[in-house]
Amino acid sequence: MPDEAPAKIPTAKLPTEGNGNGIVLLEVQGLKKSFGPKQVLRGVDLSVTRGEVVTILGPNGCGKSTFLRCLNLLEQYQDGVVKLKGEVVSRGRPEGYHSSRVECAEAEHLRRRVGMVFQRFNLFPHMTVLKNVMLGPRQVLGKSPQDAYAIAERMLNKVGLWEKHPCDPLTLSGGQQQRVAIARALSMNPDVMLFDEATSALDPVMTQEVFRVVRELAAEGMTMLLVTHDMDFARDISDRTVFMEGGIVAAVGTPEYIFDQRPVPGIQKFLQRG
Amino acid sequence: MEAFGKYLTEQIFIWDLLRASKYPLILTALSMPIAVCFGMVLALMRMSRFKVISWAAAGYIEVMRGTPLLVQMFLVYYSLPTLGRMLDTDWLTLNNFTASVVCLSANYAAYEAEIHRAGLEAVDRGQREAALSIGMSERQSFLLVVLPQAFRIVLPPIINDLIAMLKDSCLASVLGVPELLTTAAGIGKARLNLEEMYVAASILYMLMSLACYAFGKWIEKKLKASGTPELNLEQARH
Repeated sequence: MPDEAPAKIPTAKLPTEGNGNGIVLLEVQGLKKSFGPKQVLRGVDLSVTRGEVVTILGPNGCGKSTFLRCLNLLEQYQDGVVKLKGEVVSRGRPEGYHSSRVECAEAEHLRRRVGMVFQRFNLFPHMTVLKNVMLGPRQVLGKSPQDAYAIAERMLNKVGLWEKHPCDPLTLSGGQQQRVAIARALSMNPDVMLFDEATSALDPVMTQEVFRVVRELAAEGMTMLLVTHDMDFARDISDRTVFMEGGIVAAVGTPEYIFDQRPVPGIQKFLQRG
Repeated sequence: MEAFGKYLTEQIFIWDLLRASKYPLILTALSMPIAVCFGMVLALMRMSRFKVISWAAAGYIEVMRGTPLLVQMFLVYYSLPTLGRMLDTDWLTLNNFTASVVCLSANYAAYEAEIHRAGLEAVDRGQREAALSIGMSERQSFLLVVLPQAFRIVLPPIINDLIAMLKDSCLASVLGVPELLTTAAGIGKARLNLEEMYVAASILYMLMSLACYAFGKWIEKKLKASGTPELNLEQARH
């Protein structure tokens, strides 16, 4: 368990269960991650209830992106535990650890349940928009072409881009590409969605396009963790805001608590700079 | 026109040259696919996290690239049978055609390996991560996402090597394969028109090269139907 006692973290007094029913969906305990000698995450604790939207803020290099990447094991962390619906889905491994076949399969299974949207979209450029969204259901879930097509149609409609399904991803605008990327992640019917600076590569108009989709997902009760640099959006959409600094959760609470009361000096500095 | 036809058939024996032209084409058609496949194996070995495997591949690549193909051909054709006799086996005794295919494939595989490695490394890391993030296995992400994109990147340099191999196949003449150059030289020496015969053979090599080039362009065009990874990076940058 973490050296930094959770009691030290300034936390809002009021319970913040979000719009869910208070069931803890994702639980992270004492997550530590190093890149060689550099310890990037120094014991992160966080629990997210079902339907909650949590934004993660913090200065560059504070480990927020790394934290998200650890949650779906794109990075292997060294210490700690991640639980999904109360079940341990991954745990810390020493650096340079080579996973066994079974552990790889477990990681794959975990990633099906945790959707991820990247800053640079990362659509597959050699496939049409439709194929991009069908790939997961088809190859990973083993759905029939008809079922995968139906799923892709539903997801692309959800992000408002069904009419673009025969296009090449690269012919779309950045905002549209990111919405397709969201549809691709949703096609796996994940329990949680992670957004890693999903709008940092977009201009304000495209950013709003993507935010609209995120808001709709929030309204539907999707559990989401967002790393973002857009303070207004964070304030607007979050049930809870996490402020990270120096590899730990420095403060956590409602957006009002974080933005207005600024419980730790780091937030003050961070918000002034922005 | 009739005089030119007569010149082609009676002076430079065009039919013999055309018949001999099948050798460069067959040697290349057999050796290049082997080289490309074996090159991929070498590239994956080279990128392996196990040092021994990586070093073995690197050693092979450096030896093959660093020594003349002609010497490799002599060694395979003349020295391997000797080694075979010492080991009491016929397996190492190859006929001149097989020896040529083995050498061309083994030599070019080293070059293709480096091309494949560059191609695989040129595919954006985010592509693999995106594939993994939807629950694909490493194997699926490699075969369905990374490899098809790397293929587009490596195609032009591979076509380049295809043309190079077509011409390098004339080295098979030193092992006595009756290919285009051997035939042209044979006629030239007998009829005392060696320059004409060499020029005629060169023109045929060039026509075959152009055909390879056109073949490459055709495949590239077919693949261009959808975008390329380079474009992806361009768009994502802004």
